[in-house]
Amino acid sequence: MGDIGLLGFGPDGWGLVLFRAGLMTLAVSVAAFLCGLMLGTLVAWGRVAGNGPVRALAEGYTVVLRGVPDILVIYLFYFGGRQVVAAIGTALGFPGPFDISGFVAGMLAIGLISGAGQSEVLRGAYQAVPKGTIEAGRVVGMGRLTLFRRVIAPQAMTTALPGMGNQWQSVIKESALVSVTGLVETMRQVSVAAGTTQEHFLFYAAGAVIYLIITTLSDQLFRLAEKRSLRGHHGAGF
Amino acid sequence: MTALTPGQTPALSVTGLRKNFGANDVLRGIDLAAHDGDVISIIGASGSGKSTLLRCIPMLEIPGSGTVSVGADSLSPKGGRLTRAEEARARRMRGHLGFVFQNFNLWPHRTVLQNVIEAPLFVQGRSRAEATDEAMALLEKVGLTDKRDAWPAHLSGGQQQRVAIARALAQHPRAILFDEPTSALDPELVGEVLKVIRALADEGRTMLIVTHEMGFAREVSSRVVFLHHGQIEEDGTPAEVFGAPKSDRARAFLSSHFDRNR
Amino acid sequence: MDLTFLSSMFQSILKGLPLTLNLWVLSLLGGGCLALLLNLMRQSRIGAAVAGSYVFLFRGTPLLIQIFMIYYGLAGFGFIRQSFLWPFLREPYWCGLLALILNDAAYTSEILRGGLRAVPKGAVEAGRVSGMSRVAILRRITLPLAIRQALPAYSNEIISMLKATALVSTITLMDMTGIARAAISETWRAVEILLCAAVIYLAISMLVTRASAWAEARLSPWQFGRTTP
Repeated sequence: MGDIGLLGFGPDGWGLVLFRAGLMTLAVSVAAFLCGLMLGTLVAWGRVAGNGPVRALAEGYTVVLRGVPDILVIYLFYFGGRQVVAAIGTALGFPGPFDISGFVAGMLAIGLISGAGQSEVLRGAYQAVPKGTIEAGRVVGMGRLTLFRRVIAPQAMTTALPGMGNQWQSVIKESALVSVTGLVETMRQVSVAAGTTQEHFLFYAAGAVIYLIITTLSDQLFRLAEKRSLRGHHGAGF
Repeated sequence: MTALTPGQTPALSVTGLRKNFGANDVLRGIDLAAHDGDVISIIGASGSGKSTLLRCIPMLEIPGSGTVSVGADSLSPKGGRLTRAEEARARRMRGHLGFVFQNFNLWPHRTVLQNVIEAPLFVQGRSRAEATDEAMALLEKVGLTDKRDAWPAHLSGGQQQRVAIARALAQHPRAILFDEPTSALDPELVGEVLKVIRALADEGRTMLIVTHEMGFAREVSSRVVFLHHGQIEEDGTPAEVFGAPKSDRARAFLSSHFDRNR
Repeated sequence: MDLTFLSSMFQSILKGLPLTLNLWVLSLLGGGCLALLLNLMRQSRIGAAVAGSYVFLFRGTPLLIQIFMIYYGLAGFGFIRQSFLWPFLREPYWCGLLALILNDAAYTSEILRGGLRAVPKGAVEAGRVSGMSRVAILRRITLPLAIRQALPAYSNEIISMLKATALVSTITLMDMTGIARAAISETWRAVEILLCAAVIYLAISMLVTRASAWAEARLSPWQFGRTTP
């Protein structure tokens, strides 16, 4: 096994670089997750409350994203985005070459993928809200918005948390695929380090540890949030 | 207790109410009016349409035809749907009603007190201090002041139903509708809920009660309505309906019920 | 859109289909066996710890890093280069397949575990009091109930693995995605090429969805009466 010192934070170590790459993984994941959340909410709403065409569109979206490899979606955004940007740029008379940032492409692509999963979670959570509590809200004269804000959303959030936690875990792991665009996140950085030092196993193992740290810590956070949001339910204590 | 006085607007009325679920005609032309202070018990076998009748009043079920009036507002929806304007009017009507469900339907994510002040705060836009003061008075009335900060899931069924009654009272309702308020309760918890409802009757509240508790209905009601297959078969004072039912079906229903309860 | 380009692209991507299917089916088979093994290991305390950490490691890290670790990382160890495994482990195909199997096993074992946990204790006890042997109970009661319970989640896993096979293109394998990727660098018509590939993957995954819905209905007729309140 190679020289552990390579992972240190000294002048010869890759520690700092890997740390920064870990932060980049986190950044692109958070951005993508939020994109997915917006899209997922919209799509879930379309599936629950939309008319025929809206519902068909929303369902088509989830079916397609469920069936197409994530890496193809990322390529599509990266290369396709470049094509689009180049077409617009040339049309506007800018000199080339044109490029699209790996961060933006990755964020959009993974957001699109995650949005499909998140919409399923949110829809399930909405459907799990006891109908009686909604009726109780209507009967005291709540309008749609108040009903959603005060009765549906708080209850659905509790049910959705574990599922959303899983979606977040998926996003972190999918973020490794953004390395194909050249964005220097964890996966990309460990590949570069492994190639430079020829210590492949060491650096991929280090990369794996970085992902494990992120996934484990965020799992703990989600569990904590779940516990807090469960107060009052099923006598779960406070 | 007010007898039918011609010319006085009832607190609540339905006329020509019809409702069907698919091929199943659940309500087949119901006329019923409750004046201020009336306590009307609605009885009948399961499937007779009594719960549907009650749920049509705040438009939880949209009637197929007929008119529902609450105070000065009235609605005659067509084709089982509400237009936007009708929906707004339905909300105004609901604001004058209290509704108590069979399964309580407390909001599980809010404490007892929060359940009671929810609508005053977020629907009627009253101040928190005022709503809280009033809610505490209502909780005292149902005997649950000490549970103000408890979660619904930590309460017994009887306690939950009493909270639900306090929540309904916080509406300042012109009339309170009870949909089988004790049917989901263990037998030993029925009494505490009936006691609260009885106290409300003594206050002169206007109430419509769908119930299977015949003894209770006989005791608190000013009027009893017997429903059969979506139509009113008997309508009179408890003495009339329980003492001398006119129709065979009512007689059969009542005898089976009193046999079972004694 | 250029139809002749599309159809020629379609045909050349389809040449990668056999490899994609090969990796897909074999990784599901291998992963399934390993998953069963992992669940059997959970009977003992040490086995449970090993299985638990295995699942933790493989579910907590991206598949891409697992593939690279096996393909590039293992070659760094002298003893592996000297072992009988080397003829396999220097081939991207075997490395990719191995990574897919190991990855699938982690997810499948959790699905199977969920299914096993959902088997009602009473059903097992009923088997015991009617004199069934432990093996008979496992074979006649526990496994059928667990598998039927796990079916919806497993059909998701089947589709996930189809999508996962696309990652072997990063270690030079020419599966459908590999061919598409190469074609992009040659022609720079990324959107058309990627759409062609996506359509094929989508068609297969929709077939799986259909088949699994059919299988679910076939295997658990009693579930259709289950939606009573």
